[in-house]
Amino acid sequence: MIRLTDVHKTFLVKDKRTRARKRIEAVRGISLEVRPGEIYGLLGPNGAGKSTTLRMIAGLMRPDRGRIEVCGVDTVESPERARALVGYLSTDLNVYSRFTPRELLRLFGEFQGVDARVAERRGIHLLEELGLADFADIRMEGFSGGQKQKVSIARALLHDPRVVIFDEPTTGLDVLTAKTVLDLLRVMKAEGRSVVVSTHVMPMVEAVCDRVGIIFDGGLHGDATPREILARWGVASLDEVFFKLADAGAGGVS
Amino acid sequence: MNGALLILKKEFMELSKDRKTLFFTFVMPLILYPLIFSMMSRLGSHDAAARAGHPSRVCVTDPSQVLGRVLAGDPQRFTIVPRPPGDVRQAIRDQKLELALEVEPAAAAKLARNETLDMTVLYDHSDESSKLALDRFKNQLGRQESLWVQARLKSLGASPQLAVPVRLETLEAGDMGLFVGKLIGSFLPYLLMIMMYAGAMQHGIYATAGEKERGTLLSLLSTSLPRTQIIIGKLLYIFSIGILSALINLLSMAFSVGRLMAAGGGGDVQARTAVTGIAALATPSVLGLTFMLMVPLGLFFANFILLGGIQARNTLEASTALTPGIFVVVLMGVFSMAPGIEKMAWLPYVPVLNVSLAIRKLFSQQANGFEYLVALAMTLVLAGLMTWISTRMLNRESAVFRL
Repeated sequence: MIRLTDVHKTFLVKDKRTRARKRIEAVRGISLEVRPGEIYGLLGPNGAGKSTTLRMIAGLMRPDRGRIEVCGVDTVESPERARALVGYLSTDLNVYSRFTPRELLRLFGEFQGVDARVAERRGIHLLEELGLADFADIRMEGFSGGQKQKVSIARALLHDPRVVIFDEPTTGLDVLTAKTVLDLLRVMKAEGRSVVVSTHVMPMVEAVCDRVGIIFDGGLHGDATPREILARWGVASLDEVFFKLADAGAGGVS
Repeated sequence: MNGALLILKKEFMELSKDRKTLFFTFVMPLILYPLIFSMMSRLGSHDAAARAGHPSRVCVTDPSQVLGRVLAGDPQRFTIVPRPPGDVRQAIRDQKLELALEVEPAAAAKLARNETLDMTVLYDHSDESSKLALDRFKNQLGRQESLWVQARLKSLGASPQLAVPVRLETLEAGDMGLFVGKLIGSFLPYLLMIMMYAGAMQHGIYATAGEKERGTLLSLLSTSLPRTQIIIGKLLYIFSIGILSALINLLSMAFSVGRLMAAGGGGDVQARTAVTGIAALATPSVLGLTFMLMVPLGLFFANFILLGGIQARNTLEASTALTPGIFVVVLMGVFSMAPGIEKMAWLPYVPVLNVSLAIRKLFSQQANGFEYLVALAMTLVLAGLMTWISTRMLNRESAVFRL
C-alpha cells in the first residue's frame, strides 16, 4: 500500500544566465493511494514531476510538505525501513559493470538484508524469468542496454518488495523484452504487490494499469481507471489525452 | 556498521575485478623502487668506476718543469695533453680536458731559493671528472710539497718533524643511528602524506564521483542501507587504499635503500653503522606509534577526498578539485622537512603539521607524550568532523541529483 497525502517538493535551481536562484515547484500537493494488487500508471510529459514523485516514494528524496507512507511506514521518519519495502527501478540507475549479474545480485541481496545464498537463488530465478540466466556469470561490461535493464529489474525485485516502483521500465528494451516486463508486472499484481509505473508508452498503460494518474506541471490531474480517463476526455486512446494535456499546457489545465 | 563493511567489501570486490589497477596500485611499487634504486646504484658505480679507471687529461704550462715532469711520471692518473687552441676555460667546459695547470716561469729558481712559487689551476666544479682531476692533482701536489719541505729542512739541518707540529686523529662522537633517525624523521611524514593522499585520490574519485557518473550511486542509495553506513564504507575503502599504498611504497623503498646501502657499503663503516642505526631505531614501539598517527592522518585525507568526490558532479570535476590538494600536501611535507621546526612552540597545535612533528620527534628519540596525544586527538577530531560533514553532504539531495 502506498499513500501520498498533499505532497509538495520544491527545488532551488540556479539560472545560468542571470545567476539568480529560482524556486521551482516540481510537485504540488499530490495525494494518491495505490492498493495492494494494483498497478498504478503515472503519466505526464518530461519534467512534469513524475520521477520526483517516484523518487520520493522510493525514499531517495524527501517531500518538503505532506506525508508519504509505504505499507504504513513514513518515508521521512523511517527512510531505511521504507526503502526495505520498495523495489525501485529507474533509467537513471545503472549496474556495476565489472560484476557478473550473479555477483551483483548476491551483493545487493546482502545490502537489503537478504542472506547471500537466498539472494543468489532468487536472483537467478528472476534472471531465468527475464531470459538472462545464460549470462549470469558473464561480466556486464559488454552487456546491451536491454540486458543491463533486465539485471536492474532483477536487482529491484531481489528482496521481495511489497511495493514496486518502475520509472520507465521498458525504455531501451526490444518488443519481446518489453512484453516480458509487462508479464512480470502482471505477476507482481497477482502476488498482491502495489506497483507504480511511470511511462510514455501508452499501450503499456492501457494493457496493465488498473488506474492512471496524469501529472502535469507538478499537479495530479485525473486519478481514475484508463476507461474513466478516456470517457472524461472524450477520446479513444490515452495518447490523445496526452496530446490534449500538452495543448492545454499553454493555457493551464482545469 | 555491518552496512559499512558490506560497502567496503563491494568496493574491494570492484577493485579486484580490475587487474590493471590492482597491478599499478599494489604490485608496481614493489617492482619500481628496487628497479629504480638498483639502476641508480649501477649507473652511479659504473660512472665512478669509469672515471677512476681513466687518467685525467691535464694541460700543463710549466716552463721550468717543476711539476710537469711529476705529473707525466704518473701515467695511471694523469695524461699530459697539449694546450688547446683558444679559450682554455671553454675547452674544460667542453670536456676536451679536465684540468689546466699554469706554473710561473721562475718556479725552479724560486724553489732553489726556498721561496714560495705560484701556480694556477683551472677546473669545472660542475663536472665530476674535472673535480676528480683536481683531487688527484691536490694529492700529487701534497706529496710533492712534503718532499720539498723535507728537502728544505734537511738543507737547513733541521728535524723533519719541524713541519709537523701536530698529528691529529678525528673520532666520531655522535650517534650515527640518531643522525639517521633525525634524517628519516624529517622526510618520513612527507613521504607518508604524499603517498597516502596520492595513492587514495583516484580510488576515492572512482568510488564517489565515479559512481554518480556511472549511475550506480542511486541504486546503492535505493537500498535499505543507511546513508551514514554507505559513507563510512566508502571512507573505510579510501582510507584502506591510502594506508596500503603508503605502506607498500614505504616498504618497497626501505627494502631498496637497505639493499643499496648493504651492497654499496660492504666495506663502508658509515653505511653499515647507518643500517644498524636504522634497525636499532625502528623499534616496534616507534613503528607502532607512527602507525597510530597514520590512522587519523589517513582518515583525514580520506575524508577530504570523500568530500571532494561527493560534491563533484563527475570524475573530471572531482579530479580538478582534488588535484590541488597534492600541492598542499607537498607544501606541508616540505614544511615538515624544514630544519628547526621542532623549536616552534605553536606547531604542536596545528592540525596535520603536528602529526609531522610527532613522527619527526619519535624518530629522533625526542618524543613528547603530551604533544603526541594532542596530535592524535586533534587529527581524530578533525577526521570525525569531516566524516560528519560528508554524511550530511550525501544526505543533501543536490549532492546526489543534478539539479
